[in-house]
Amino acid sequence: MPAQAFPPQFKRETHTVNGLKTTVLVAGRGDPLVFFHGAGLWHGINFALPWTEKFRVIIPIHPGFDDADDDPAMNHVHDYVMHYLDLFDALGLDKVRLVGFSLGGWLAANFAVQQTQRVERLVLVGPAGLRGKEQPKGDLFLLPPEEIPSLLVSDFDVIKPYLPDNPKDLDFMGARYREVGTLARLWWERPYDTKLPRYLHRLTMPTMLVWGEEDRLLPMQNAELWRHAIPKVEFKTFKRAGHLVLDENREAVDAVQKFLS
Amino acid sequence: MSGTVRFDFMHFMPYVHLPENHKDFHSTWVDFPNKFYDPQKGHALYQRYLAELLLAETVGFDGIVVNEHHNTAYSMMAAPNLIAAAIIPQTKTAKICVWGTPPNLEYPNRLAEEYAMLDVMSQGRLEVAFPLGTGMEYWANPINPATARARYRESIDIILQAWTQDGPTTYYGDFYTYRYLNPWPRPYQKPHPPCYIVGTGSPETVELAAKLGFGYSAVFVSKTRALELNQQLRKSSAEHGHPVRPEQLPLQVITYVAETKEKAEAEAVEHVRFFFEDALRTTPNFLAPPGYLSVAELKKRAALADKLHGGFSFDNVNESFFLAIGTADQVVEQLEEWAAKMDTNHFNILGAIGNMPHWKVVKNLTLIGQDVIPRIRANAAVERRVAAE
Repeated sequence: MPAQAFPPQFKRETHTVNGLKTTVLVAGRGDPLVFFHGAGLWHGINFALPWTEKFRVIIPIHPGFDDADDDPAMNHVHDYVMHYLDLFDALGLDKVRLVGFSLGGWLAANFAVQQTQRVERLVLVGPAGLRGKEQPKGDLFLLPPEEIPSLLVSDFDVIKPYLPDNPKDLDFMGARYREVGTLARLWWERPYDTKLPRYLHRLTMPTMLVWGEEDRLLPMQNAELWRHAIPKVEFKTFKRAGHLVLDENREAVDAVQKFLS
Repeated sequence: MSGTVRFDFMHFMPYVHLPENHKDFHSTWVDFPNKFYDPQKGHALYQRYLAELLLAETVGFDGIVVNEHHNTAYSMMAAPNLIAAAIIPQTKTAKICVWGTPPNLEYPNRLAEEYAMLDVMSQGRLEVAFPLGTGMEYWANPINPATARARYRESIDIILQAWTQDGPTTYYGDFYTYRYLNPWPRPYQKPHPPCYIVGTGSPETVELAAKLGFGYSAVFVSKTRALELNQQLRKSSAEHGHPVRPEQLPLQVITYVAETKEKAEAEAVEHVRFFFEDALRTTPNFLAPPGYLSVAELKKRAALADKLHGGFSFDNVNESFFLAIGTADQVVEQLEEWAAKMDTNHFNILGAIGNMPHWKVVKNLTLIGQDVIPRIRANAAVERRVAAE
């Protein structure tokens, strides 16, 4: 996806982390707020702009996504946790507010159960990764790529500007194929994490769970899995919003900001 | 043509009784509902197809080729070794070619054992190929397409170790650990049955064939591409110290022979259409599961999409692929021309095309056995004599 999809306020930094060239988008001043994105950044990060008024917003691009380098050896959530430990050390981030969306929510939860001292406050936005009683929800692999974007939102106009005019745009297809391949290394065998529920009791920092009421990728009942497993969690849902709740509903963005302040 | 001419007959064993509304389904693979499989009709088809495989040996073919696919009407050979085992006691000289089971879809020791069993049972008539498997196989099997190539390479490594080193040995890999790699039985042929790689021409796979000294057969690629791949293999293999022999380059040709060109086309084209339009019909997503292709390859294939899988024009297919449909004279001439160009003497004949009825398959195999194979053999023998003088 073209880099210009990101608002100009965000500066692009490059850090070499354990040999891997890692792109980090940074904007704003204040205490650090780290955002772990979902399984793609093509829908931009405009939603994060309001946060930059109060925080130094840091959005690292996961290896294998967008224009970040890939490392085929990263095939386990542990590899991502270690990658971010290295990156946080490099950035001197001792204490952070951590927000994770979808795939990033799963990564953030995994990071936070191991780094309870480092993560001061945690927000999980439509997090993926837990297995429901029915068939696993949010199995992106079941969806033909061309059907995914419209499933992510309640109002298609919100993401339309980020999509190519030609649905068969080869560059866009290629970029998404690369990302879903990265995801497959983590999730093909099981599109959920069987170990994480065992450790979610460790999320003792103030934690908020955010969900779009019209989420069709990971329907709202998935929130119950998280609410049962996390000792104390503030749960907020938003109307007129699908999976991309932050992109669709400004109130969700503000609620996150308020919770983190 | 140098060396001994070799003719194989390859069958896909399709389930041909598709429901009337089958075109409403986007794919006859992966998610095509298996309620449409009627085991009674399936039984009749197995009986018929096994008879056709055996007929090939009777009329003069040198080898019988089977392969593996899953979740599809395209093929009833989810386990090709079972078919091989069924035909071994009913054949005497034919090579039994299992081309083959994707080695990463099976425990490697188990595949080494099964192939060794077939080789011993057939008194050394087995030949095997190692395909990566189509993208569709990864939607049907619990193997990660994103690590498929690495697992594939490791699996072949284990199988070759099991066949070539006295056991027990150990193997400590990224995917598999063997504390006692010691399969019984061992292959009849030494060091092991002839091996090929069958593929659609990804550079890594051709390179692997060259490195291992395996044969290579490109399938479902254009004629031009097949020629390039043969040249690439010849060059790389030589660099690895394995000069390629012509018989290592099986040339897959859809072949049909009849009394006249018009009759051959009238009898064959509808089945070629079924093969490309219905039996091969699937979706881009099923063809390319996540991580199965490089991004560059995905883009290349997306640009060519629909040319092969669905959307049929006989002229296009005839232009792009190896199709020899005509009189015996025409087919002889055509096969000899391609063999010369591809520098091979090994033909893999797709002579039971799509939903072709039994009588046409019998007619086709009989005419090929009677009027094509002996003449190509005779011409090659003359060529060899001339070359020797």
